Formats: sequence, structure tokens, C-alpha cells
Amino acid sequence: MAIKIAVLVGSWFHMSALGFRYVAAAACIAFGLVVLESVAGPAEVAQIKSRQDKLRDMGGALKAINDELKKRRIDWDNTVVPNAQTIKDRSGYLLNWFPRGSGPESGVKTYALPAIWQNNDDFVTLGKLAQVEAAKLNQVALSKDANALKAQVEAMGKACKACHDGYRSPDSEKEDEN
Amino acid sequence: MTSTESRMDAALAGTAELRVWDLPVRIMHWSLVIGIGICWWTGLHNELEYHLYSGYAILWIVLMRLYWGLVGSSTARFVNFVRGPKAILDYASTLHRRDTPHTHGHNALGAISIVLMMGLVLAVVILGLFAVDVDGLHSGPLSGYVTFKQGRHLAHLHYYWFTILLWVIALHLAAVIFYFIYKRKNLIGPMISGKRRGDVGDTEMKIAPLWRLAIGAVVATAIVWAVSIGFYF
Repeated sequence: MAIKIAVLVGSWFHMSALGFRYVAAAACIAFGLVVLESVAGPAEVAQIKSRQDKLRDMGGALKAINDELKKRRIDWDNTVVPNAQTIKDRSGYLLNWFPRGSGPESGVKTYALPAIWQNNDDFVTLGKLAQVEAAKLNQVALSKDANALKAQVEAMGKACKACHDGYRSPDSEKEDEN
Repeated sequence: MTSTESRMDAALAGTAELRVWDLPVRIMHWSLVIGIGICWWTGLHNELEYHLYSGYAILWIVLMRLYWGLVGSSTARFVNFVRGPKAILDYASTLHRRDTPHTHGHNALGAISIVLMMGLVLAVVILGLFAVDVDGLHSGPLSGYVTFKQGRHLAHLHYYWFTILLWVIALHLAAVIFYFIYKRKNLIGPMISGKRRGDVGDTEMKIAPLWRLAIGAVVATAIVWAVSIGFYF
């Protein structure tokens, strides 16, 4: 009986020592992950900065086209065509700019809301829609049809807004991002 | 006759209904209230298309009010209510008293808040004219004269100065409540009816002719239209 208990205790001891090692390893990994998640490494900082710069360029490009429409004398070759090209090219990479972990949990100042990753399917759908509108905008720019451009600039803006309304923090209106 | 009525008659003896605010001033005041309300709501909810329209309406009203402050009825004119520091301090020193006579039109302290509010409304509108919408859908009509980055910066200043304006409006409302409760003077009624009860001997308001208002309306409309197309004729 005593031997039986000793064996049991021994095996429990043995198991628990093993278990302890597993637990310790798991804790280290978990802790490491938490540290990785909460403290932005240079990669995350660069990722978010570059995303912001590219999106700002796209906003600037759409503004440049809008300004031409306001002026009523449209400079197709020097302004509309190259800027539409910029928007189309950049939009192609749009969905690569939001890897998991590049939200506010990264610790980097960003207006990207966690909803991007919570409702990722919807976010991806909206992103793809923006890509479609950007491709159309590029075609319209090449066609040099002013009325079509006006309509497509609006469609493009709405595609931008669709994403910004749900996935961009309203704080962006209060604070100066520059 | 009941005793209440006879007391009322005694209190009203020697007083008359005096005209204090003309119709244009009252319409401009209340349409500005509605306009700022619409701009506030549409701004917060990113409904920028309607935000732009209500912004134009506010610009038109402020231009009209500035014009009416020069050529309008007597109580609307800046020369008749904007006072120097001495008059302002004198008035402020009687603020705690309840027996002070009613100023016909804006009092010296109220004048500061009028000038401050008008200046802030104009500043916020001008910032908005240059503001850039991040989606490129409904940027201000003059945003073509600034870069994307500058325009975004101006959009934030537009927001920032609006919050300052809200605080000044809050102060204006607090003053109206203070007059109503502490000084027992109803300032809201006259801004609706245009009349207040005053002594028979008080000077009446001089009403400006409406054709003068019509001239201002035509000019203000032309200015707002030119601004709305960004001066690209």
C-alpha cells in the first residue's frame, strides 16, 4: 500500500515537474506575445507610418483631381491622369497595409479601429470595392470625359468614406494628424 | 377688478410697449441659431454635403448682420452698442444690482459677447471654406488654394475654433438665464416679439427701410455665390 502511494506520489511529482516546465514555457511565450503586442517594434511603427503616408498621398491625389473640377479648366495630362494612376496603383496594395496587430494595440498612434480585424470580411469587401472604383477612375481619367470624371470622383470619395465611417476613429476629426 | 389686476395696472402705469429689435435682426438671430445647430449636427455626423449648405447660409447671415450693423435699425448698429472699456467696466460694476434700468438694445457687456460670437462664427466659416474633407467629397470651396496637408490642418482648426464658439454661446445663454432669474428681465421674449415694456419717455428704435435690407441681400448673395464656386468664374 505504502509502495503504491509512493509510486503515485512519485509519478505525480514527475508529471508535475514536467507540467511545470510546460506551464513555464507557455507563460514565457504568452508573456513574450503580450510584450510583442503591446510594445510596438520598429516594424509596426514603420508599417503604420507608411500606411498613413500612402493614404495621405491618395487623399492628396483625389483632392488634386477635385481641384481641377473646381477650376473648370481641367488639366488632364499633368494632373488628372497621373493622380488617378497614383490612386489606382496605391489602392492595389490597400489591403496589405492592415496586418493583424497594426491597430491601436500596437501602441502607435493610429486611427485604425479594432473593428477592422473584428469585422475583417466586411473591411476586405469595402477595400476591394475601393479598388474597383480606383480602377474605374483611372479609366475615366484616360477617357478625358469631364462629366464622367465628376461622377467617378464622387463614387471614389464615397468608397473612401464607406471605410472611414466605420473603421476610422472619429477622433481623427478632433485631432491634428499632421 | 381683482386686486392682482389692480396691482398689475399700477405697475404698468407710465409704461408702454417699446420696439427694441426689428424683424431682420430677429430673423437673423434665430436663423443663425438654426444654422449653427444644423452645422454642428452635420459636422459631427460627417454629413458634409448638408454641412456645406448650412455653412453657406451662415456666411450669408453673418454678412447680412455685419451690413445691418452699419446701415440697419438703430439697435442693430455697432456704433450704438459697441462701447469702450470705461463704459463696459461701469456697466459690469452694476451687474450685481437688481434695480438698474433696462438698456435699450444690447448692454455694454452683451456687446462684447455679440462681437466675440460674430467674430468667431466668421472665423470658423472662413476656416471651413479652406478645409479639406479627408474623403475628397465635400471640401470647402476655397480648398483648391491650399495643399491637402494644409487643408486638413485647417479642418482641425475649424473644429477647434467651433468648440471655442460653443463655450461663448454657452456664456451667452448663461447670461440670458442670469438676467431672467436674478435681474427678472426677460431677454428672450423681446428677441421673439421685437417689443419690450419700457418707460413712456424711452427713445424708440429707428427702423431702417427694407429696401436697404434688399440691397444687402443681393450683395451678400453675390459674395456667397462667388465664394461657393471658389472665385473660379
